Amino acid sequence: MSKDSRMRATINQKLTEMGERERLKELLRAKLTECGWKDQMKAHCKEVIKEKGLEHVTVEDLVVEITPKGRALVPDSVKKELLQRIRAFLAQHAT
Amino acid sequence: MKMEEVSMSSLDNSKLEGLAQDILSDLVEDACLGLCFEVHRAVKQGYFFLDDTDQESMRDYEIVDQPGVDVFGQVYNQWKNKECVCPNCSRSIAASRFAPHLEKCLGMGRNSSRIANRRIVTGNNTNNKSESDQEDNDDVNDNDWSYGAEKKAKKRKSDKVLEKIPCALFSLRECCIAPRWRCILMSHPVYLLKKFNAPLSIRALHERKSS
Repeated sequence: MSKDSRMRATINQKLTEMGERERLKELLRAKLTECGWKDQMKAHCKEVIKEKGLEHVTVEDLVVEITPKGRALVPDSVKKELLQRIRAFLAQHAT
Repeated sequence: MKMEEVSMSSLDNSKLEGLAQDILSDLVEDACLGLCFEVHRAVKQGYFFLDDTDQESMRDYEIVDQPGVDVFGQVYNQWKNKECVCPNCSRSIAASRFAPHLEKCLGMGRNSSRIANRRIVTGNNTNNKSESDQEDNDDVNDNDWSYGAEKKAKKRKSDKVLEKIPCALFSLRECCIAPRWRCILMSHPVYLLKKFNAPLSIRALHERKSS
């Protein structure tokens, strides 16, 4: 088990070191903006903020409310593309 | 390092798949977190709700979809048939043609009516007729500066005329070469003719002149 987590840590480190994580993040951000995910999320944020009150809303509130919805709303095509990139990276570097 | 390699090769496919899924959800969470920060900052700085408007004011900017009216609800083409009176010649001209007309009428453009004007002026003055006629011819043949197919046709015609001029009688001043070529012929070496893509007949003239 510890061996497994060590491997995960190594892969994650590689991902960061080689700059691939940053590239993937950028790709994801672009795709999400493109497909309207960001607008949907902003609309959702508005509801949350109105509910909590403009003055009292905190980052934690937003994270708690937004993250599950955000995960659910990511389109399958975007997921697929990202996964393909990740798999390619793993195949290259985990052999 | 070697140890890592060994341990990583022991990963089987399902574990790799799990790892990929984890990385993806990490990334998505990152994106969410980024959005949260962004929105939170916008809220606290007070610019998050800037683009929110109430239904009332939105109605003012709705797209109008009616025949004969543009998206803003204004009648379009209302200026189409307007006419303007030219301050120079007092004719009334369609608004869309007014600017080009004024340019020519006031004699500002390349193709302005200055030649015609001069003709009218000199037509009254019969004494100068012969001289002005010659000059007019000169300008008519200055088809370097006009546009289109007319130009090409005229040019070819003038090239033919040039070829008919006997070498001995040839004088640069009298032949109908566009002034552009004339000044190059009189003062500049042959490479300029090539550079400005002069017609072959003009290059031939140059050779005759220099021989």
